[in-house]
Amino acid sequence: MTATAEQQADILERLKNGVVEYDEETVIAAANEALEESMDAYKAVMDGLAAGMDVVGKYFASGEYFVPEVLMCADALYAGLNILKPHIKMDPAKMVKGSVVIGTVEGDIHDIGKNLVKMMFEVAGFIVHDLGRDVPLDSFVDKYLETDSDIVCMSAMMTTTMIGMPVVIQKVREKNPRAKILIGGAPINEDIADKWGADGTGKDAPNALQEALNMIGVLRELGDDFKADRKAKEWGEDGVMQTS
Amino acid sequence: MPDTQKETVLKVLRGEKADRVPNFSGMGSITLQGIQSLGYRFNEIHVDGAKMAAAAATTYRLYGVESAVVPFDMGVVAESLGATVKYYDKADQSQIIYPTMIRKIVDRAAIAAPEGMSDADAKTHIMKETERQITEYQFQKPADLAKMGRIPVVLDALRRLKSEVGNEVAIGSWTLGPFTELGQVMDLEILLKMAAKKPDVVNRHLQFMVDYLTDVINLYVEAGADFITVREMGATSSILSPRMFKNLVLPNLQALFGRIKSAPTVLHICGDTNPIVELMAQSGANALSVDQTNRLPESRTKVPNVVLLGNYKPFGEFCEGTPEQVEAMIKQSIEEGADGVWPGCDIWPVVPEDNMKAMMAAMKKYGVKV
Repeated sequence: MTATAEQQADILERLKNGVVEYDEETVIAAANEALEESMDAYKAVMDGLAAGMDVVGKYFASGEYFVPEVLMCADALYAGLNILKPHIKMDPAKMVKGSVVIGTVEGDIHDIGKNLVKMMFEVAGFIVHDLGRDVPLDSFVDKYLETDSDIVCMSAMMTTTMIGMPVVIQKVREKNPRAKILIGGAPINEDIADKWGADGTGKDAPNALQEALNMIGVLRELGDDFKADRKAKEWGEDGVMQTS
Repeated sequence: MPDTQKETVLKVLRGEKADRVPNFSGMGSITLQGIQSLGYRFNEIHVDGAKMAAAAATTYRLYGVESAVVPFDMGVVAESLGATVKYYDKADQSQIIYPTMIRKIVDRAAIAAPEGMSDADAKTHIMKETERQITEYQFQKPADLAKMGRIPVVLDALRRLKSEVGNEVAIGSWTLGPFTELGQVMDLEILLKMAAKKPDVVNRHLQFMVDYLTDVINLYVEAGADFITVREMGATSSILSPRMFKNLVLPNLQALFGRIKSAPTVLHICGDTNPIVELMAQSGANALSVDQTNRLPESRTKVPNVVLLGNYKPFGEFCEGTPEQVEAMIKQSIEEGADGVWPGCDIWPVVPEDNMKAMMAAMKKYGVKV
C-alpha cells in the first residue's frame, strides 16, 4: 500500500517537527509509519529528518537554541535515521556516493562538533571513517590513502590545537592535489582555511556547531549534484564549502 | 615613587585607581622563545615545579609582561580527581601539544556495548549507560589534596615564583570554573544534554566542584598566588543559553567566588559574552576577563563600574601578523576601555619576539593615563 500525497506530507512534517522539538518518540512513530506506508526512505530522511535539522540550524544561528538543544535534536534525528537507513535503496542517481575521513586533531578531545558533522555526512549517505579524537596528524593522511576517500575533515576546538591542521593539509595535498579538505572548530574561520589551503569551513561562524549545521543544506543539494563519478565540483553557493 | 608593576596590577584588580594600564594575564602566557632560552622542551615544563616556575617567569623577564602564571595546561585539577592526562613529547618542538585529558572519569569512549548489538543499538546503549554513570557518580575529596597528581608541582612552582619574582610582578594561578571542570571529567555531550533534562543531577556535581575548587584555590594562594582566574569557558553563550547560565552556572560561580577571601579573583569566559556580561558581573569576581569576540565598548556601557580585562586576540595577527598590527590591536583594547590589557585566552607560544616587543612598546605609548 502506498500512502497518499497528503499522508506522506503529514509523515514528513512529523519527522521534521520531531527533530526540531527533540521529541524522539514522535520521530520513531513517524519513521515506522513511513515504512508501513512504503514511503521512499531516502525521501523521509532528507525531506523529514534533515529538513528538521535545517530548521535547528536556523534556531541555533538566531540564538533560540544552544548546544544542549542541538544535541537533543541530533538524538531525535538518529532515532529516525536508525529506523529508516536500512531501507534506503541505493540509487546512484539520487545518493551521494562518497567517503569521508573525519577526526579531532591531536591534543584535542572536543568531539561534539565533529560528531555533528559526521551525522550530516551520514544523513547524506556518505561512508564515514571516524578516527575519533586526539588523532595523530599522520593518521589522517594514512586513513585517507587507505580508504581512497573524497574528503578529509579535521576539527579543533582550541587555539592551541589547530596548529596541526596545515601540516595534514600539506601532506594530503602532496599525495593528491585535488583532495577535498574541510576544517572546523571554534577558532577556525574562512581566513585561516584560505591561508592553510583548506577547501572550506563554516562561513562567518566561529563555531563548530554552526558550521556543521550549515552543512546540511549543502549536503541536501549535493544529493542531486554529486554524482557517482566522484568528480570534484563547486560545492554549494552559500559559501559553506567551496572549492578554492 | 611610581607603583611597582605588581602594585599596579593588584590596584587594577581591586578596582583602585592606577596611573597606567598594566599588561598582564591570568592565563597561560609562555612563549617558545622563553622556553628555549632555558633549554627546556615544551613537555617538561608541565611536570616539574622548578621548570614550570622558570618558564613562567620568562614572559616577564624577556618582555616585561607584568605577571607570572602557572600552570599552563587544563588538566591539573581533573587529573587530581582521577582523569587521565596524556603528555606529548614531539621530536619536532614546533608542534606544540599541551597535556590533554584523554580519559575522563565518566567517558563514553570507555564504555562498551554488549556483543552482537547493531551499531545503532550499541550507540543508544552507550549513551544511556554514560548517563546512568554520571547520575550515580559520587565525587570524593582526596584525603590529602596537596599531594594529588600535579597539584604539588603547581604549588612548588608558585612558591618558587613568589621568592624569585614575587616582589616585582603579580603571581597568578587559575582553575577552570565548576561547569567547565565538570565537563573535563565527565562526558561533555551527555552532560550538556543532562543540563537541560536533569539539571538537579548536574547541579549536585557542580556543588562538589565548587567545594573542591575552593580547596585547590586556597592551596594556590597559600603557596604564593597573588590573584586567581577562574575560567568558565564551557559556559559561554556560544554554548549555553543565558537562561541556563543564570540558573545553573552563575549560582555556583557565586558560591565559589564567595568563598575565596584571600586573593583578588577574575572570572574569564570566552566566546560571545556580550549577552551575559551583566550576569558575569553578578558572580562576585573582582574583575571580568573577556576575549576578542566581546564588543568592549558595549560591555563598558552595560557594566560601567566593573574591572574589565581584555581582550586582544592571542593568536592570528598576534603570532602571524606584523608588529604594526599588534600595536593597533593593543591600542584598540586600551581605547575601548580595558582596565588591564590581557589576552582572550592562553597566548600562542609561537608568538615572535618582535610582536611581543611591539605589544609592550604599545603599552608605553598608549597605556599611560594623563
